[in-house]
Amino acid sequence: MRGNFGRILLVELRGDRVAVEHVALPEAAYHAFVGGVGLGAYLLWRFAPAGVDPLAPEAPLVYAFSPLLGTPLTTTAKFAVLCKSPLTGRISDGLSSSRFALAAKRLGVDALVIRGALDRLGWLHLDEDPAACRVEPCPAWAGLSAHELSDMAAKQGLFRHVSAIGPAGEAQIRYATISNDGRHAGRGGAGAVLGAKRVKAISVRGAAVAGVADAASVQVRARDLAARSAGAATEKYRALGTAANLETFDRLRILPRRNFQTVSIGQAAARRLAPEGLARAGEHVRDSCAGCTIGCDHRYGGTRIEYETQFALGPLIDVDDPACLLAAAGACDALGLDTISAGGTLAFAMECAERGLVDWPLRFGDDVLPWLRAIARREGAGDLLAEGTRRIAAVIGQGSERFACHVKGLELPGYEPRAMQTFALGLCVACRGADHNRSGAYQADLQAGVDRYRADVARAPARVIEAEDNAALLDSLILCKFLRGAIREPWREGAELLAMVTGVPRGEDDLRRSARRIAAVRHAFNVREGWTLAEDRLPDRFHDEALEDGASLDRADVAAMVDAYHAARGHVPRGGPSERLRRELELDAWLTDAPPLQGPASLG
Amino acid sequence: MVTVELYGVPRLRAGASRVEVPAGTLASILHALASILPGLVPDIVHDGRLTEHALVAVDGREIVADPTLPIADGTVLVLISAAAGG
Ligand code: SF4
Repeated sequence: MRGNFGRILLVELRGDRVAVEHVALPEAAYHAFVGGVGLGAYLLWRFAPAGVDPLAPEAPLVYAFSPLLGTPLTTTAKFAVLCKSPLTGRISDGLSSSRFALAAKRLGVDALVIRGALDRLGWLHLDEDPAACRVEPCPAWAGLSAHELSDMAAKQGLFRHVSAIGPAGEAQIRYATISNDGRHAGRGGAGAVLGAKRVKAISVRGAAVAGVADAASVQVRARDLAARSAGAATEKYRALGTAANLETFDRLRILPRRNFQTVSIGQAAARRLAPEGLARAGEHVRDSCAGCTIGCDHRYGGTRIEYETQFALGPLIDVDDPACLLAAAGACDALGLDTISAGGTLAFAMECAERGLVDWPLRFGDDVLPWLRAIARREGAGDLLAEGTRRIAAVIGQGSERFACHVKGLELPGYEPRAMQTFALGLCVACRGADHNRSGAYQADLQAGVDRYRADVARAPARVIEAEDNAALLDSLILCKFLRGAIREPWREGAELLAMVTGVPRGEDDLRRSARRIAAVRHAFNVREGWTLAEDRLPDRFHDEALEDGASLDRADVAAMVDAYHAARGHVPRGGPSERLRRELELDAWLTDAPPLQGPASLG
Repeated sequence: MVTVELYGVPRLRAGASRVEVPAGTLASILHALASILPGLVPDIVHDGRLTEHALVAVDGREIVADPTLPIADGTVLVLISAAAGG
């Protein structure tokens, strides 16, 4: 099989040392889980001890590569980062683009599984030659942003590509990111897990090549995909970026404002925060991830802005000054904070303060820069805000849980669920918590023939499952989701791409089974870590408070959709995969209860 | 008259954020749009139909596609990019 190396690197940290060991994976694992988030979910299941504290040394952090990574296919220079989330206690899987992804796969492995912890802050260097892997203590790097660290390392000739944490990761903020050459693996707090291992930065060096089975066909397809990626289907991303959503969503009345109290900021404010307004506040430059022919990376005054950041640090906290928004986004980038969770947490804190539940001098519309810095350093009230919305609500109490906008502890993205009721189901059941990326069910609400203000118990579960499975396919191959409009038949094309790259024929149905298996393993992981059906719900605000236009979300309807979703997925009531599903997807071969493999012997 | 508000790529292509066209069916309105805003053709509007790259919502709420749908005087149509993800 080409495209993969058939082995992973087990990385064990202890004291100020590292030991590494190659572990072979059977070809069947690649067939079953493809790569990226799929392969990573399996490895997380395999290597995380049941019930592990996400910040404990024995909790693994998984970097999973993909078969398409390293090929000339557009948007494939990405990898997945997985862990048990310190924010949710459930599975967390983030994707990140970067040249680091390309460099890391050249270690000659398909995934890194990092366990253990250092005694003090260190730089972990991984090498294709196991004997050259090492740890260098780096106390002087404490407090540096990932960007500062990259600059310094480049000047000193230390390394070119790096996966690193900022101050928030060092302080184990539960929504800290890992930055990879400037792109973040954001949601769920993987940065805190790396911080708990006291790893400031990971550099890599290798020259291994996985190769492709049919290089000529891959070249032809790469040119074809690049041409399609330059067409009308991706024009929004190229020409405007996702920041163009804000004004549209304001008009559709699905733009959450003031901690999901309302859904519009008005036309004038929306225009101020739209790409034209941002360009007045900071010079506009367009960029792209490594190996991408779309280029949706729009920067204003040097700060990368996409819709979720713009929503969370703008309308959600009632900021309508583009300069303030850009400053807050730049600070999150430098500190290493997930922008959605940072904005969501601050919005919740603002509402608590305005209601008099806490005496913090924090109001909607305030400049949040000092608060972001306090969070990243756990100073003053920042220490509690660093814990995320769910934990803050548990401390404050006084009914604040009603408007603590999270699912499973993960703060909500920028789509109003009362006005997008298929997406509301997607939020409830998403394995990593309130999430727009692992399902994208908002697409289902924005199409002709769908009444987005109605919970469609009969049809919504199938729509959400299809969206989740589509996302699992793209996230495992890995192809950027912004390419999806240019791929008419993702299952057929996904199977073709895999066959060209690996040389192993794949059928569409077989690939669909892989996507369902990936969903089943993620759910099984959550069940093992304590998931209950009670988690698959939205906060009371969405049921008890109607929007100005009367839109509301019926509690019983949502519960019925959630039940129907689990039944359609083949889960036993209130539990994991049914016997039938286990047989059908051969889950018992993968979900073994065998203890995780032992660490490398060299650490004793 | 029917007001058509344009957002995202449709606005960029049209070079306008708001136009008025005579009431009629959705198809007649899209034909009228294509003739006064030729930048929408062919990627946004083609042969009196919206392409897969755009959506139209009546007053920003119900997304419609049936070309025979009557659109009454005074209606506001919101024309947006189909790719909603972010
Ligand atoms: S479309 Fe955007 S997010 Fe996707 S790979 Fe290209 S630049 Fe990166």
